[in-house]
Amino acid sequence: MRGLADDDKSPLLALRVSPGIKIVTIIIVSIILMMVDHAHDSLAPVRSTLAVAMQPLQIAAELPGEFTEYLGHYFDRGELISDNEALSQKVLLLKVRLQRLAALEAENERIRALLASASSLDQNVLIARILSVTPDPYRHYIKLNKGSADGVFVGQALIDANGIMGQITDVTPLDARAILITDANHGIPVEINRTGLQTIAQGTGKSDQLRLPFLANNSAVEAGDLLVSSGLGGRYPAGYPVAKVTRVKHQPGDEFLDVIAEPTAHLNRGREVLLVWTRDSSLQADDGPYPSDRSAADADTAVNAAAAAP
Amino acid sequence: MIINHHVSGLLIVFTLGLGLILTLLPAPEMIAAARPAFFPATVLFWVLMQPLRFGIISAWCCGILVDVIYGTPFSEHGLALAVAAYAVIKMREILWTFPVWQQALLLTPIFVLYEFVLFWIDGVAGAEADQWWRWLPVVSTVIIWPFWAFVLERIAELEVG
Repeated sequence: MRGLADDDKSPLLALRVSPGIKIVTIIIVSIILMMVDHAHDSLAPVRSTLAVAMQPLQIAAELPGEFTEYLGHYFDRGELISDNEALSQKVLLLKVRLQRLAALEAENERIRALLASASSLDQNVLIARILSVTPDPYRHYIKLNKGSADGVFVGQALIDANGIMGQITDVTPLDARAILITDANHGIPVEINRTGLQTIAQGTGKSDQLRLPFLANNSAVEAGDLLVSSGLGGRYPAGYPVAKVTRVKHQPGDEFLDVIAEPTAHLNRGREVLLVWTRDSSLQADDGPYPSDRSAADADTAVNAAAAAP
Repeated sequence: MIINHHVSGLLIVFTLGLGLILTLLPAPEMIAAARPAFFPATVLFWVLMQPLRFGIISAWCCGILVDVIYGTPFSEHGLALAVAAYAVIKMREILWTFPVWQQALLLTPIFVLYEFVLFWIDGVAGAEADQWWRWLPVVSTVIIWPFWAFVLERIAELEVG
């Protein structure tokens, strides 16, 4: 091996700029980049351009999984048939329930109108497929196959059949990235369905836990309570289930309860999610258009304006 | 030894792609948490074996790509990889004298450093997920280093003979 016995002048070791200078420069540049990235979105175009360039690699990484899934489908004919039957029955059941719900919704709308606190229940949804889950185990992000071309906008709420999943953080024309409610960086305003108590549910970085850090010791909360979105802050539509309280612990000497809740949405299962458009212009902060019937939305403006003012 | 040969850029890019795919393969949460850091191991392998072609700047660029894929703050992984690459460069003369399985042990503090930089930046950025299994990749990476280095050397020898 050449170079080992030689001094620093051997060609192998003769680095043009000393590594010390390089690393100090890079540390400074990195810190500046991180601060800029953290503070505002000016680096978003760079990020999305690079992301598009990296797409083939990500597709390649997804291939083995997709292939085994495909093979699984190939061999699971019997299971598919029974699944299909079970699903058909479920659809029938849900349709029956939906009929009742439609009547209830109309009634609710009438009563709200009487109370002069009308908030529109009319919401548009779009089904998106989960393309990938972030491979970083410390962050809870998913990538969806719908982007700004479909009207998806930053801040848009994401739900599944069981509750709120998260919100969109980045959009490119063809796909979008969403943060899940369990990410350690995420908080969602909720209310306890039983008592109407308002609080905030924070992610913990674990996929089955949310924390409610701001409940005072005398708060009326108990295990089993359902948390629904309160709609405060204007990001999430109100009234969707978010989580179920699993543990309430009184911390001696602490002013706040230690409350843990489990998200109702199936965050780490399933492949499809629903993107919600609420017909409330205050939610459309990032001027995303509705996917359809804009004129119908405009007709509601008067009602929504009333709803926007508390 | 491939240290004495000029490995083509294409080959380096190919192995980096391989390492990245191994890092991106979907896996259950616990396995993903303990997954060896294939991509950083590949980057550091080239820093060690091709110091003239692949240095701190290249490692930093590779880290930026990881940031784009993970959606982490720009240059978080870039900084971690650059710092790890710097440590490898400082230790390279010692590292060269040892067989790969002993290299793995010497590289342990470097992988700890890499994870620590990420952990620290996450903490500052407020995304702290304070879990002990955060350090599992260090163990798994040290375990796979001899095998992974062997594979990378064989791939490189296909070209340089």
